[in-house]
Amino acid sequence: MAEVLEELQGLVGEAVAPLSPETVLIGDRGVLDSMGLVELCLRLEDRAADIGFSFDWTSDSAMSQTRSMFSSVASLQEEFSRQGAQEK
Amino acid sequence: MIIVTGASRGIGRAVADRLVSQGEEVLGLARTSVSADFEILPIDVSSAEDVREVARSLRGRKTKVSALINAAGIAAMNLALMTPSGSARKIVETNLLGTIFSSQAFAPLIIRAGGGAIVNFSTIAVALALQGEAVYAASKAGVEAFSRTLARELGSRGVTVNCVAPGPIQTDLIKGISERQLGTVIQGQILRRQFTVADVCDVVEVLLDARSRSLTGHVLHIGGV
Repeated sequence: MAEVLEELQGLVGEAVAPLSPETVLIGDRGVLDSMGLVELCLRLEDRAADIGFSFDWTSDSAMSQTRSMFSSVASLQEEFSRQGAQEK
Repeated sequence: MIIVTGASRGIGRAVADRLVSQGEEVLGLARTSVSADFEILPIDVSSAEDVREVARSLRGRKTKVSALINAAGIAAMNLALMTPSGSARKIVETNLLGTIFSSQAFAPLIIRAGGGAIVNFSTIAVALALQGEAVYAASKAGVEAFSRTLARELGSRGVTVNCVAPGPIQTDLIKGISERQLGTVIQGQILRRQFTVADVCDVVEVLLDARSRSLTGHVLHIGGV
């Protein structure tokens, strides 16, 4: 869960704790508002560029999954890792 | 940098030329590449992937994007019941989806740059419900709705989103309209005269000015309706 958890921690700081793979990102129990989610995705874009791939957070494949990739830290990390592996 | 879609001709070209003349760095996107004093990439904005690729390239080069002008647009005057499906699809894809895809791709770059402006284009045909322009007006009504919502979503990140809605400006877009029809449309404006691309450029410049940071979610009608 390294990248998403780290970037989320950097974004929300100590305001929300503890963060875990099960942490809900958006919605009633979410730790982010809509623009916070955009901010997280921008950070992940940078992280992906550093690693050597392009993170696409608007792709049809990502959004057509039964469960949104934005539902939790774990699901977003799963998609992030999947795209990273795909481009390598 | 300011990105202008539909930059090869018409209002998009005029806006791009105006911005260049004011010392702005402009990147134009257009289906056809033409000679200009600014770079034009041959991109069809109705292709989400092509637009995203441009954004990726700009991000990779750490280009600071301060504004996006979504001026790419097509029109086909036809009665609603007689508009061919292919024509209807193309109008919606270019005018509405093109605006959506470009905004999705480039707004993150504007956020990264610390904020800026998105200017979209609607038309007087929405407000006046002009006959013979149902599909065109519908696509632009979608642009207006998208713009208002996008303005709310991006407001907290310092990005303003507004629409400019011209009446009959003398461009290729209205070349098939008769003088009588033009007169009828102009009579529907508050200011009953035909405005020019220069008038449109003036309004775009106002919206890009830092002193317009308080204006967002608006549809500005050239000549008023």
